[in-house]
Amino acid sequence: MKLSNFMSTVMMTAAIAFGGAAALAQSAGGSLVFLVQPEPPTMAGYVSTSGPIGLLGPKIYDGLFDYDNDGKMVPVLAESVDVSEDGKTVTFNLRKGVTWHDGKPFTSADVQFTIMEVLKKVHPRGPNSFKEVNSIDTPDAHTAVFNLGNPAPYMLRALSAYESPMVPKHLLEGQDIKSAKLANNPVGTGPFKFTEWKKGQYIRLDKNESYWKEGRPYIDRIVGRFIPDASTRAAAMEKGEVLYAAYNAVSNVEAVRLNKEKDNISVTTDGYSMINPMALIEFNTKEGPFTNAVVRRAISTAIDRQYMIDTIFFGYGNPATSALSSNFAATGLHAEMPHYPATGDIAAANQMLDDAGYKKDSDGVRMKAMFDLIPYGEDWKRGGQYIQQVLGEIGIDVELRYEDVPTWLKRVYHNYDFDMNLNYFYQLSDPVLGVHRHYGTNMIRKGTHFVNSSRYSNAGLDALLGAGMKEPNAENRSAIYMEIQKILARDMPVVNLFELEFLTVYNTKLKGAYGSSMGAYSSFADAYLD
Amino acid sequence: MNRSSKILRYVAKRLIQGIPIILAIVVMNFFLLNLAEGDAVDVLAGEAGSATPEYMEEMRKKFGLDKPLPVQLAVYLKNVVQLDLGRSHRHDMPVTELIVDRLWPTLLLMTSTIMLAVGFGILLGLFAAINLNTWKDAMISVFALITYATPLFWVGLMMIILFSIKNDWFPTSGMENSAAFYEGFDRVKDIAHHLVLPTITLSLFYLALYTRMMRASMLEQYGQDYVITARAKGLTERRITFVHVLRNALLPVVTMAGVQVGALIGGSVIVESVFAWPGLGMLAFESLFARDLNLLLGIFLLSSVLVVAVNLVVDIIYCFLDPRIEVN
Repeated sequence: MKLSNFMSTVMMTAAIAFGGAAALAQSAGGSLVFLVQPEPPTMAGYVSTSGPIGLLGPKIYDGLFDYDNDGKMVPVLAESVDVSEDGKTVTFNLRKGVTWHDGKPFTSADVQFTIMEVLKKVHPRGPNSFKEVNSIDTPDAHTAVFNLGNPAPYMLRALSAYESPMVPKHLLEGQDIKSAKLANNPVGTGPFKFTEWKKGQYIRLDKNESYWKEGRPYIDRIVGRFIPDASTRAAAMEKGEVLYAAYNAVSNVEAVRLNKEKDNISVTTDGYSMINPMALIEFNTKEGPFTNAVVRRAISTAIDRQYMIDTIFFGYGNPATSALSSNFAATGLHAEMPHYPATGDIAAANQMLDDAGYKKDSDGVRMKAMFDLIPYGEDWKRGGQYIQQVLGEIGIDVELRYEDVPTWLKRVYHNYDFDMNLNYFYQLSDPVLGVHRHYGTNMIRKGTHFVNSSRYSNAGLDALLGAGMKEPNAENRSAIYMEIQKILARDMPVVNLFELEFLTVYNTKLKGAYGSSMGAYSSFADAYLD
Repeated sequence: MNRSSKILRYVAKRLIQGIPIILAIVVMNFFLLNLAEGDAVDVLAGEAGSATPEYMEEMRKKFGLDKPLPVQLAVYLKNVVQLDLGRSHRHDMPVTELIVDRLWPTLLLMTSTIMLAVGFGILLGLFAAINLNTWKDAMISVFALITYATPLFWVGLMMIILFSIKNDWFPTSGMENSAAFYEGFDRVKDIAHHLVLPTITLSLFYLALYTRMMRASMLEQYGQDYVITARAKGLTERRITFVHVLRNALLPVVTMAGVQVGALIGGSVIVESVFAWPGLGMLAFESLFARDLNLLLGIFLLSSVLVVAVNLVVDIIYCFLDPRIEVN
């Protein structure tokens, strides 16, 4: 944060010094090579929200809106949106003269098809985002009227090119959408056209000469390179072979070093507020040692969150203070809750367990448990080792288990064969989109990943979640989520650890790529090379 | 029967023998791989964020993963016999296409490595044996020991730091310059430029092996009776070394090279990963974690075919190196 603030100060000073001339100096042309890690399975961002697809998809497909760094809506394919008084009719006025990469015109029929037939049916999060959309009317080619069953204020936060890409009706209609050819030969309306995918090497996109935005994009070509080894990725960044690496493609330790040693390499934590990642522990609340909420509260009390952030994640992160991320404070949906100390309190945690009648045996052990770790790299292993040590101090003897991704997913989300699980979730731009899925009774879905694996079920909470979803008034909504946070701080089926701060490492040669709160998942139409 | 028709008959016989071996390998691999927890659908759905159980069920059906294992195996074998390796679930492409795409970078790296390693290994081993127990011999032995004992990934990273970052001589990784996209002869030059560091890294390890083997093999041959006979005949040391001893000493080295061609396909995962070289090893590695079994089986099938073929070639080279060895 500090760094990027500094950067923007510098840039503002520069802008004042050079006046308007600086804005005109953007040079067109050049190739932007950046890191995509790992190689995506397909390019079908309308079927999968997989990270690497997000890095490339939004350069090819546009959304209806984008969001700037303050979260304000920026018109993309829609020029404006009107929400009726009762919140149940949402009208989008679409941009005229937009064409798909194959030359066909983009119309309201594409919007209707994308939402109703694609996102609502096959997108992992679309059924939630557009749950209330019953039908879409298309009075003319450039107007799309969404008819909602209930007000859905969160829907307007899910219209970015990453979350809800607009796809061509004429290339998907009448086909099985999940296996359509479009997945590997994407055709969008975005600033860059898909050219070539060399498996194991790179994906190449070239400038869309007939992009709707005058004079954009500046860059001639975008290449997403795949480099499996983390040290080599850092070397390629250091050498300037790649200019941009988001989502910790260059590890924190290397990012900090490059930022210090190299004048032309900087880091930023901006561009992740709509993703809102949260590190956490999921508990099995139905079987095993953690069925009692007291134990879960004691664990939350014992962990030194700040220590984890400082020693394992190089200071990038903020201690969690509630079930909801502090990024929701802007919309009044966040409040600090008890049992979330920033620095751990071992004595208090021991006291809680003593009071609840969990006796230590002669070895100082109250209970034993298995601790599964998300198999996404060394940082998480170290996090697990730290927590193992802390839990030892409060008499909980845990054994660590680190498996490969499919085995782990199956164990936690299909077999429910776990006691506690270290993980991280995206809370996204609204609790309805990112948080409800972890707590609602209707989200206990055997075999579906990243939903309510704790199998926590509370009718009172379900009712509040339902109310929070439909409430259009900001103040009432804030009160509802206050209640929700209180219940979750008491029952703690999931203990939030800290708000992760992903790092974007970039070469200062690349400019104009940082204006969207979608960060790396944005279009790069305004990016240019100096 | 003359020699060449004898060799032809031998090749045909060996090829026929190879078929059941390869089939047995396919069946064994199939069951071994299916022992792993989770399948391709789990991984795809996991990456996608949330997916409904119905969606996952539908995908399994589409991929044919809902059928019992023996049925899946029967379907696979039937396709393999018709030379159809099936589709990769993850990449949504035919397996053959994926493999062929990665085959030539693999062959490029493999051939250049083998040539460098065997060539220099033979030279160094020969040189060490001629200068037995001198400082030259000691230097070569120490060099071989160090390169053999150093982990490959470390050598690779040091190469990148030294020759790519500190000195701007070679690119860090990849197979082509992805900002420029050269064509024609410039592309060939560009690829060769990218090939240098991975080749040196990978061959250092094998180089040590061949050097030590060549040295030992030379020394063994020097102790044979025919060398004494040659000396008694009055041949020069030079002629004894290069015409008599060298030829015989090569036999074990050639055997070793044959065995290692198979290992090199999969064994270069580390080098492919460090240098982002788009070879088969990395493809196999990734498809294992993605539970993309069709693709993995395809790669295994190809390597078993290759091993059988190379071993046959080695056996034939034997008869030329040593006319006493006969095929039958």
